Amino acid sequence: MELFANLLLIAVGAALINNFVLSYFVGICPFLGVSRKLDTALGMGLAVTFVITVAGFLSWTLTEFVLRPGAPLANAVWHAVGGPGDADLSVLAYIAYIFVIAASVQFVEMYVKKFFPPLYKSFGVFLPLITTNCAILFACLLIMKEVVGGNWGLAESLTLPIFGGLGFTLAIVLMAGIRVELDLADVPRPLRGAPIALLTAGILALAFLGFTGMGANLKQALTPAAADAPAAVASVEVDR
Amino acid sequence: MTGETMALVGLGSGVMLLLAVVGGAVLGWADRRFFVPVDPRVERINRALPGANCGNCGFVGCGEYAEAVAAGGTALTLCAPGGPAVVGALAAIMGVEAEQTWPYRVIVHCTATTGMRLRRHPYQGEPTCTAANLVTDVQGCIYGCLGLGDCERACTYDAIHVVDGVAVVDYTKCTGCGDCVDACPRGIISRVPFKTDRILAVGCANQDFGNDVKAVCTIGCIGCKACAKLAPSLVMKGNLPVIDYDKYEPGFDFLPAIDKCPAESLVWVGTPSPKDLEALADVEMPVRAEATFDTTVDQTEWRG
Repeated sequence: MELFANLLLIAVGAALINNFVLSYFVGICPFLGVSRKLDTALGMGLAVTFVITVAGFLSWTLTEFVLRPGAPLANAVWHAVGGPGDADLSVLAYIAYIFVIAASVQFVEMYVKKFFPPLYKSFGVFLPLITTNCAILFACLLIMKEVVGGNWGLAESLTLPIFGGLGFTLAIVLMAGIRVELDLADVPRPLRGAPIALLTAGILALAFLGFTGMGANLKQALTPAAADAPAAVASVEVDR
Repeated sequence: MTGETMALVGLGSGVMLLLAVVGGAVLGWADRRFFVPVDPRVERINRALPGANCGNCGFVGCGEYAEAVAAGGTALTLCAPGGPAVVGALAAIMGVEAEQTWPYRVIVHCTATTGMRLRRHPYQGEPTCTAANLVTDVQGCIYGCLGLGDCERACTYDAIHVVDGVAVVDYTKCTGCGDCVDACPRGIISRVPFKTDRILAVGCANQDFGNDVKAVCTIGCIGCKACAKLAPSLVMKGNLPVIDYDKYEPGFDFLPAIDKCPAESLVWVGTPSPKDLEALADVEMPVRAEATFDTTVDQTEWRG
């Protein structure tokens, strides 16, 4: 039960409260670049979700077994050559994650090209650009931090990228919907194009600020111990 | 460096090497498993195209145009920057005869300068043709050029200017994009294939009967039909001869028709021919530089 509650917290946190795009401001390039049409935006969101999940899984595997201090595989080799203490390869994190991300993007590109040619065409240059989508590296680094800290297992490490990716999809589809409507609006000349897109993104981010604090309340609701002793926030709501 | 650091570096290198081997193996397998056969002609066509991705052909970029050409059913002549050389190259790759193509340029079907247009009244509204066109009696001729320069403002290439109250095309700059055609509220600009650098055009758009034309313009076409009898590519549409540029023969002798015209409605437009230039050899003219396409993008390695 506790695991489930924890996963739910991570999921809601990654998708809404700490939305990658609108709260952490990572992955802005495709967010602004591929949000002109609804269907390509949805495709981009799902492609990122897929890549981020694959990369998240691979980075958890790498971190757990090779990169984290005292990882079993690295340690085995380390002790075999007679190294003292635990092997710590966490310096390799960035380069290893980028490698993993690039390889999985390449794989996805081949797959999409073979089985979904129209989608491949509509992505154009943005599919290879997922490689440099910082949302993915960001998710990998978050996972690494938690795995090194000993907090997360495979379940948590998969929940974060899946729901982070869905949150990215939600943000980019919302943005595309707004921009499709914006095409019909009479935007003042100096604001046309990029400026109004940035303004829209800013207002969207403000709207997502409304989720702030939801995490704490959710945690209270989900954790039995906290439910017994209601915190100040909850009592304010009762008074109202 | 201590031995421990050396060992750590060695371990790190080993890990990365192992990652590279595994990743390479997976991607290599995927490359075969997900192999998409590509028409080898696509790559060759792609190389023959300028690679500027300008979109003039109507496709998103050179790559898409190359695919469309290789798939067949698409004209080989759509690449404007490439010109005849690229058409020839594409025809060779596709194994078909190259068709003859001509560049498109615009023609203004009005040649009357301000003094030639009669019944003009002072117009003090917004100085655009679109606005003036809404008002009656700005000038007598309800067909001709208003001379307020909507086309001049629409032109990206600085190729059309209002001179003496009438729009004149600078054919050394015109690319035939047709922006002025859309901008003209009176629709007197047409976009036609220039089979020669210098081409015959009807320089009047007035479709009224002779007397009405004479009342508003000193040089307008009076609709006498004389030219249509002397040249088969000239066909009468109502009271106005129109040149059918599909039937236009560059070698045809239009002189009888031009001589017969009682108005001054048949005019030559376009860049002057070498013969014309020779006649003006004594007059000092700016040197015209011909493009050689020596250094277009297609000769560089960069493919965008």
